[in-house]
Amino acid sequence: MGKYIAKRLLQMIPVLIGITFLSFAMMRLAGGDAVTYMYENAGTAVPQEIIDKTKAEYGLDKPFLVQYANWLGGMLTGDMGKSYVSHKDVFEMFVSKLPSTLLLTLSSIILTVLIAVPLGILSAIKQNRWIDYLIRFMSFIGNSMPNFFAALVLMYFLSIKMRLLPVITTDNLALSLVLPALTLTISMASKYTRQIRATVLEELNSDYVAGARARGVRGSVIIWKSVMKSSMLTIITLLALSIGSLLGGTAIVENIFMWDGVGKLAVDAITMRDYPIIQAYVAWMAIIYVAVNLITDIIYHYLDPRVRLGGDGA
Amino acid sequence: MKKQLITALLFCAVAGGIMSAAVLAEGKTFVYGTTGYGVQMGDEGLNPHNNYSGWSALRYGVGETLFKYNDNMELEPWLAADYEFVDDTTVKINLREGVTFSSGRAMDGEAVKECLDHLLAVHDRAPGDMKIESIEADEMSITIHTTEPCPAIINYLGDPYGAIIDMQYGTDGVEGDSAGTANVAGTGPYIATNVTETQIDLIKNENYWGGDVKVDNVIVKTFSDASSLAASLQTGYIQGTYGLSYDSYALFDGNPEYTINSCATSRCFFGQFNYDSEIVQDEAVRKAITMGIDREGFCTVLMEGRGIPAKAAFPSSFSYGNEAVTAPDYDPEGAKAILEEAGWIDTDGDGYREKDGQKLAVRWLTYPGRLEQPKLAEYAQATLKDIGIEVDVNNTEDHLSIAESGAYDIYVSSLTTAPTGDPEYFFTTCALENSAKNRSNHKIDAVEELYEKLHQEFDKTRRGEIAVQMQQAMLDESAIFFVSHLNMGIVTKANVTGMAAHPCDYYEITADLDVQ
Repeated sequence: MGKYIAKRLLQMIPVLIGITFLSFAMMRLAGGDAVTYMYENAGTAVPQEIIDKTKAEYGLDKPFLVQYANWLGGMLTGDMGKSYVSHKDVFEMFVSKLPSTLLLTLSSIILTVLIAVPLGILSAIKQNRWIDYLIRFMSFIGNSMPNFFAALVLMYFLSIKMRLLPVITTDNLALSLVLPALTLTISMASKYTRQIRATVLEELNSDYVAGARARGVRGSVIIWKSVMKSSMLTIITLLALSIGSLLGGTAIVENIFMWDGVGKLAVDAITMRDYPIIQAYVAWMAIIYVAVNLITDIIYHYLDPRVRLGGDGA
Repeated sequence: MKKQLITALLFCAVAGGIMSAAVLAEGKTFVYGTTGYGVQMGDEGLNPHNNYSGWSALRYGVGETLFKYNDNMELEPWLAADYEFVDDTTVKINLREGVTFSSGRAMDGEAVKECLDHLLAVHDRAPGDMKIESIEADEMSITIHTTEPCPAIINYLGDPYGAIIDMQYGTDGVEGDSAGTANVAGTGPYIATNVTETQIDLIKNENYWGGDVKVDNVIVKTFSDASSLAASLQTGYIQGTYGLSYDSYALFDGNPEYTINSCATSRCFFGQFNYDSEIVQDEAVRKAITMGIDREGFCTVLMEGRGIPAKAAFPSSFSYGNEAVTAPDYDPEGAKAILEEAGWIDTDGDGYREKDGQKLAVRWLTYPGRLEQPKLAEYAQATLKDIGIEVDVNNTEDHLSIAESGAYDIYVSSLTTAPTGDPEYFFTTCALENSAKNRSNHKIDAVEELYEKLHQEFDKTRRGEIAVQMQQAMLDESAIFFVSHLNMGIVTKANVTGMAAHPCDYYEITADLDVQ
């Protein structure tokens, strides 16, 4: 197992270099740079000499490959550079935003599991009954509703009409967390409910369930002891993917609710062509996905004997 | 048990909210939401010597400049008492007595000199603008020597970067401090107690030289989403806003619970014809395009009344603004006649005109940085189609490299044309042969000659007259067309007074602010 983990971690090196190089190249191809955008946003014009001087200060006048090599060299020595726009240390900026993102991720995932698992199972058990139709209809609506729209609908009812929750993040973190977490949960729980329903239905039609029923095992025991255990692989795969994307920040939700996480930081950086932050974000995303996939594989290893035996056999 | 746990959690959340509200409830509090503050705007922090942060110092009542602009964008002494040009390169400024920084230090000549010296040492734009060679301090006055005649120096001292701060207190967060955001000791009605990239907390300056400050606490919060901004005002979480989206104004317009305060700013949306492009070298085409764009319709329909139709680079509040120049009105029939006279006729019946086998199609280059610009491109596409001109819109963030390559016929952009209340800036930036933003790639002799006069002229009235002549020369050539001035709006709850939009967009929170 240790060998396997070490191998996967080593695979991360070419992945990181490849991804950061590609993103670096794509940002250059998109045109514009931080200095130009900074002055454009302010709406005033400055002499070209000032623009050129500022670009030279940031090394933006150097060839593309030199800029990338400089950035990579810094990364390897633990220096992620300074933001072109705010002049702050990128690592510190990133780390300061992470707690918010982690909190939002954790809350949304917990809420999603709390909603999707019971509803998915209920929908499967009551297949083709009115409750199944209702759950499927609601999950269809939730799934097809874009995040920004869900955010605005929740904001309208819970904040403007009922005055229960703040529109944006305030000093009261607990209340401020509700709307963004709920917004993210709506689409995730809808997706998961359908997925769990399908998985549970598949398991319910398996021979081992028929056997258990024939032996008089109680339905709830079959569901929670057998079916759920078999369905866990699907649920964990879904959760891993969601955690990956949530840890990368949810730019739209973070922007709407002024939730100060890494997603908002990344979008602001892309808008301003703030390359050091964009590169840090890309590296972070790559690390998350590789790490989450690795952890998922390790969990598979323990949950599923077929994976374990196959892995050991190889 | 579960129910008890949930009840307890909700109780804690609500109690937390009440407690945080109670903390703020000492004295009058005003919470202000804005889209104009933050890293993206380049104005985070309050240090006027850093990038555009001087805007924040002025807007939120922490800093003040030696001179300020009145509602007609005319200069008035502020921290200065008066000034006098000793000769073409020397100006003596007498300072106002009895002004102290929030640090407690008295503002005198030496303090102002220290501040301006630091500004010139570290700021990117100020040295080039003001051309200051040296500054002498003498008790309550300073004498500034410039390297060349600089009639606009007084205007530049009114730019937000010219906010006077106590350099002994320092400019925390500028150099070496990667965690903090700059705070400064200014002379304004408010003192910042907490400055972050997304929020500024202010308390009233009890020793403000300009009189009693009515509100005890002000919180400035940045918003990046216009819907959240509008919703926050509706819920009462904030009591005033800057930067509402156009469609949000309908929520507050005519509602007695809110006050909308608007005024035209010098941010102007305008187009420049590329004289290097063959098709717009034809004056008839340039004239027809100028006459074929419905400015009134654009401002009322697409900008939902948040724009003022423009004839000139400067709004009507300037003596050399809209009313001072003559420009063609929207006249589609007149435009058609001009094109037909010039030989542009729709021979194949496809709705677009041709001449010598060439279709009348123009490449319209713009960028999405300002929401209004893509809308204007689409609107012009529709109205110019009516007169037989095809518009090929290129709305791209990479507009600068395309502009450099010359692959466009019309370049449409926006600019704050008079950030310092003086016309010279616009002409230096856009109108001269060597201007950085002369997208016409064209030299108009009359404009060049008039600029030489403007650059040397110290008399304000005469400077205004020259500015009118320069704009008129550009309009007569049909080298440029002005479409709209942005109508800046501040929306507040009806119980908020003393907060008004200003044409220069610099002053928002002042000592006049009050919450009834």
